[in-house]
Amino acid sequence: MTETDLDGSGHETHQHAGTAPMVEEVTDFEVLEIALRELAIEKGLFTAEDHRRYTEHVEQLEPAAGSRFVARAWLDPEFRRLALDDAVAASREMGIDWLHPTGFGTPSDFTAFEVLEDTPTLHHVIVCTLCSCYPRPILGMSPEWYRTPNYRRRIVRWPRQVLAEFGLYLPEDVEVRVEDSNSKHRFMVLPVRPDGTEGWSEEQLAEIVTRDCLIGVALPKPGVTSNAVRPVHPAVRPVTSD
Amino acid sequence: MVVGNSVLGDLSSQLRVAFHRVQDWAYPDQVDRDAFRAYMKTPHDVGGEPDPPALFEDKEEEQWELNTFVTCEVLGWRGIWTSEERRRIGNVDLGRTNYLGLPYYGRWLWAIARCLVDKRHITLGELIERVGEVRDRYAGGIRGPLDAAPRTTGNTDAVARNRHHVDAIGKGDPQCFADTAGTPGFAVGDAVSVRELPTIFYTRTQEYLRGASGTVAKVSYESLAPEDEAFDREDQESEWFYIVRFRMADLWTAYTGPPNDTLQAEISERWLRPAV
Repeated sequence: MTETDLDGSGHETHQHAGTAPMVEEVTDFEVLEIALRELAIEKGLFTAEDHRRYTEHVEQLEPAAGSRFVARAWLDPEFRRLALDDAVAASREMGIDWLHPTGFGTPSDFTAFEVLEDTPTLHHVIVCTLCSCYPRPILGMSPEWYRTPNYRRRIVRWPRQVLAEFGLYLPEDVEVRVEDSNSKHRFMVLPVRPDGTEGWSEEQLAEIVTRDCLIGVALPKPGVTSNAVRPVHPAVRPVTSD
Repeated sequence: MVVGNSVLGDLSSQLRVAFHRVQDWAYPDQVDRDAFRAYMKTPHDVGGEPDPPALFEDKEEEQWELNTFVTCEVLGWRGIWTSEERRRIGNVDLGRTNYLGLPYYGRWLWAIARCLVDKRHITLGELIERVGEVRDRYAGGIRGPLDAAPRTTGNTDAVARNRHHVDAIGKGDPQCFADTAGTPGFAVGDAVSVRELPTIFYTRTQEYLRGASGTVAKVSYESLAPEDEAFDREDQESEWFYIVRFRMADLWTAYTGPPNDTLQAEISERWLRPAV
């Protein structure tokens, strides 16, 4: 983005805190993205309608589906068995169809889903050291930190140190099991139901199962209903929904 | 015990442009085994590389990033590529400097461009002209909506597509490969070793697992191997995959955690042998 003196012509401007108003300048990434999408549609590789439909599919994905999944597994032993046995079938019971929206799933996520059951002496944490494989159909888009080389480099070799940086200190009698999600299986952690939640409803339980718990960098705790607060890098032109 | 990545400062993970060298393009006799291995290392394979602690951040998504992600997925949906081809192009082919330098979705975008040109859906000339045109369209700044404006709608029937995007419908992937690989060579509980094969162009068998021994924890599914899928080789045979459990202490020299910590990864049969 270039700083530009305004000429009062009424051009669309954007006020940035603490800086002069600027005319919005297109970025190289935006230009390339538009050029490629135009050419792909003109050549018949896909249609504008395909792109719109898939965008709609992506925009309705959210980690709340995974939270509800875990809450139900805590309450319903039969569902828990199904979740551990055939997590794709269990997802379907929760209204998540891994074959959507193409009929064969989301191309990058595949349709092999596995739930990793924590116990009082076993804790799972998930990474993809080779890219950023993540169970989007049930958790939505992965957080930025999960994709970084830093997390991917270190969690497979210094897991306890990295978990400590997330605020999770595990005692030595808990085995840490790192799941490197390097092929077609996608994974989600089923944490141990914490003490102090006796008699809670599925909705109440789901609230404490944050996305971080489902990746394995946090444990559910009564009273904690959101991920740890982290710095957010703002977008120049963030996603707008119609 | 794996030697690669097991000590700080190992060449394979730390290869950089050598500013201290006066001469580019080393003579062949100046590249020894370790240097060759470092040059051939696939840049996506970062597990175990030394790195100091960093602040873990979140990021707001740019509109073009979402558009790019969706275009990649739609290209998979409509049989232009598989996601494994995208991973090979965008995470490995572009080289280490660009891999570590460009934004995450910048590489996805790079992969789209490369795929469309390589597979002859567009010419490089068309792409260069169109990028120039779009740039000119917004030369005076953004005054209205920023979006693609295709001039025509192409004939979708005239496009070359893979078999997979049709074969997998109603089954999913890897389920579309079920019953194609015969009997699995290993069973749950088997002790296996990861072969120390050379890395050339692409793999999903991590360097930090090469030569390590573990135990089969799950017989996963049948699928094409990533080395084939990444190069659009639908003609190749599928094989079995296994989730293998390793002891951390067997992967890393001087692992600092308790001896019962473990790691699991999913490996194709060609990379495994009965443990010695």
